[in-house]
Amino acid sequence: MNKIHVENLVFSYDKEKNAVDNVSFSIEEGSYTTIIGHNGSGKSTIAKLLIGLLDKDEGHIYVDNEELDYDSVYDIRNKIGIVFQNPDNQFIGATVADDIAFGLENHQIASEKMQNIIEKFAEKVGMIKYLESEPTKLSGGQKQRVAIAGVLAMQPEIIIFDESTSMLDPQGKADINELIQEIHKESNITIISITHDIEEVSKSDHVIVMNDGHIVMNGKPEEILLREKELVKLHLDIPFALKFTNALKKENIHIDSCTTLERVVEELCQLRSKM
Amino acid sequence: MPITFKNVAHTYNEGSPFQYAALKNINLDIPEGKITAIIGETGSGKTTLVQHLNALLLPSEGELQILDEKIIAKEKPKNLKSLRKQVGLVFQFPEYQLFEETIAKDIAFGPKNFGASEEEAFAIVKQVMPVVGLDESYMEQSPFDLSGGQKRRVAIAGILAMDPNVLVLDEPTAGLDPQGAKDMMDLFVRMNKEFHKTVLIVTHDMEHVLNYCDEVIVVKKGRIEKQCEVKEFFESLDLLKELRINPPAIIRLRELLIQKGFHIDSSVLNIDDLAKAVANEVKHYE
Repeated sequence: MNKIHVENLVFSYDKEKNAVDNVSFSIEEGSYTTIIGHNGSGKSTIAKLLIGLLDKDEGHIYVDNEELDYDSVYDIRNKIGIVFQNPDNQFIGATVADDIAFGLENHQIASEKMQNIIEKFAEKVGMIKYLESEPTKLSGGQKQRVAIAGVLAMQPEIIIFDESTSMLDPQGKADINELIQEIHKESNITIISITHDIEEVSKSDHVIVMNDGHIVMNGKPEEILLREKELVKLHLDIPFALKFTNALKKENIHIDSCTTLERVVEELCQLRSKM
Repeated sequence: MPITFKNVAHTYNEGSPFQYAALKNINLDIPEGKITAIIGETGSGKTTLVQHLNALLLPSEGELQILDEKIIAKEKPKNLKSLRKQVGLVFQFPEYQLFEETIAKDIAFGPKNFGASEEEAFAIVKQVMPVVGLDESYMEQSPFDLSGGQKRRVAIAGILAMDPNVLVLDEPTAGLDPQGAKDMMDLFVRMNKEFHKTVLIVTHDMEHVLNYCDEVIVVKKGRIEKQCEVKEFFESLDLLKELRINPPAIIRLRELLIQKGFHIDSSVLNIDDLAKAVANEVKHYE
């Protein structure tokens, strides 16, 4: 079932050039979708349109078959959580607990229930020990965990990660990626991740490639990531696994083109057993 | 002319309740004419370390020799201006520090500050803009109309305009897309190979360390954990694990293959060599 359906979406910041230009796509309920494209291709603009932070110029956005418009925006926004790139720009509370509570307070959750919810999600992201800490004293990765706990506490049906790991160090990145994978596995939350990380893309269910406000490719990563020439033309990374399959060809070893390291190893083991 | 740290410590807010020892007993020789990566977790002291290189921070203890200049703890440094001309420091997100009306004026700011005339400064601007991949048509544009990656090029051009011998870059590719990051790294390699600059790069990107750098300095909790050649660093898999560093894809693939019984030398670090090793192995079974 489609969780999100977008039709002929158009948006311009300056009324001269369309940042999002006649874009249509669907996202399956419970799927993990990645959106890639170089800086300025329109990825984040789409995210902001989906949560109603920007108002579309033309086209339609449907969430659970309900059209996003002036009347439905608050309902729909309740279903969608977003985690942004810079963890420092999304803190409001004086302590981690306050920060997680912020969204709940906005939803007028009774305070006796709130403590339980806060603890549950702080535990979930591994920040239970830090409930009384000041958010500004945390590392980047810890801040993003708190931001994710705040979003999860709202029990969203969709979470958008807008380059949420791009400012973190490798450990922070790995921790957050693991957490996102875990959330995806354990719940039926639909995940949309805007990313430059080609390995994350290779592990997702669905990838949308943006260029200059348009969708230029849309489908399964194991198919799209093999379209090497097009990806290079768009200045996007190609998976290391594919580069390696090409290097093998030069050595006269032919295996199916792969997008993940694990597949390369499987293919090579099979080839070796046939020899 | 060497860059050396001798027993250098740096403590922030010394003598106050917020006192924090960011660097402890650092002894370091930074090789000239090479590209050195400085790596370590957030908060390990990397930025504090590099900010000593142009005396933006002064040591609380110990002494530094930076090219011709000596900086000693608790002594007022001499010749700061000359030191800052020789060591160009590019901060994280330098694009936030652009301020002039035009790109040309922004790049000319440094040379003019160091005594160049208006004409000399603009002649330098014309020289450095193509080096960072901006043609002359950008000269009169406002730097604020550029994309993030282009703004960063302008900021770096402003440092190159001072023609420093040593270029220090604090996370220069953070937030750039893969192509932007690659262009940026290619630029630093060119500064090193063609213009013989000593380059120091603070980075988190292990693919960049492997593919572009000569040496690695690992900073951990305010101390130097390791300094060695890149090749040696990536051969120390136990150290990588201990530092919680996810190795570059080539090493992960190599290790997965070794686990499956492929006989591959664990010093293989480039894609063509790995393909050759695998080909030999598979053909061996024929």
